[in-house]
Amino acid sequence: MVGETICKITESEVNLDELLGELSKNSTGAVVMFTGMVRGVTEKNSPHDTSLLEYEAYLPMAEKMMWRIANEIRTRWPDIESIAIIQRTGKFLPGDPTVTVACSAAHRDTGVFEAAKYGIDRLKEIVPVWKKEFTSQGESWIEGDYIPQPGE
Amino acid sequence: MKKVTLLFFATLRDITGERRMIKTIPDDMQISGLKEMLVDEFPGLKEIMASVIVSLDHEFAFDNSSIPVDAEIALFPPVSGG
Repeated sequence: MVGETICKITESEVNLDELLGELSKNSTGAVVMFTGMVRGVTEKNSPHDTSLLEYEAYLPMAEKMMWRIANEIRTRWPDIESIAIIQRTGKFLPGDPTVTVACSAAHRDTGVFEAAKYGIDRLKEIVPVWKKEFTSQGESWIEGDYIPQPGE
Repeated sequence: MKKVTLLFFATLRDITGERRMIKTIPDDMQISGLKEMLVDEFPGLKEIMASVIVSLDHEFAFDNSSIPVDAEIALFPPVSGG
């Protein structure tokens, strides 16, 4: 049974308990929720400390691309019931949650784990949002490395 | 000639010093021509233009995309949300 699709950019913190309720129907037996947060200490690659991240979005296009990802999820995993893709913008400190991707289904073996992972991976490829990192060394824009191809 | 709105995000905004501009461009100009025009106006863009992403009315656009009248064109670096 197809459920809710929630795609939005917001400055507010997402209430995960409330979201769980919004994504659950009588037929729901499994919800996978991914939350990304500001990492204060990075150990991999170039180790450094982060004091703040500032996010900005190209809003109408960002929400349009989130809907595209939700449609891609439904095409790949038809048993998914509800989908939430929510990105926050503004200034955030280490430990602050910044993004949530959640999928629900009747059972855990419907692809619901893979669907949530696909959602956050695709968000980092095609949703026009950027973050500026502030460290003790100064500030700089973080850039991804994905170049969209025709048809995306 | 036709009018288009240009939007710049993240590093592109820092380099151009502009958030939003209205430009008049030739009728037959494609995205590749627009990029060349912008590199002439903002030489700082030259180095990064190969990895700049362009959208046209909220859809990804490519060098050979043609530009409609009153288009909203955004230029930005590879995204880094999450």
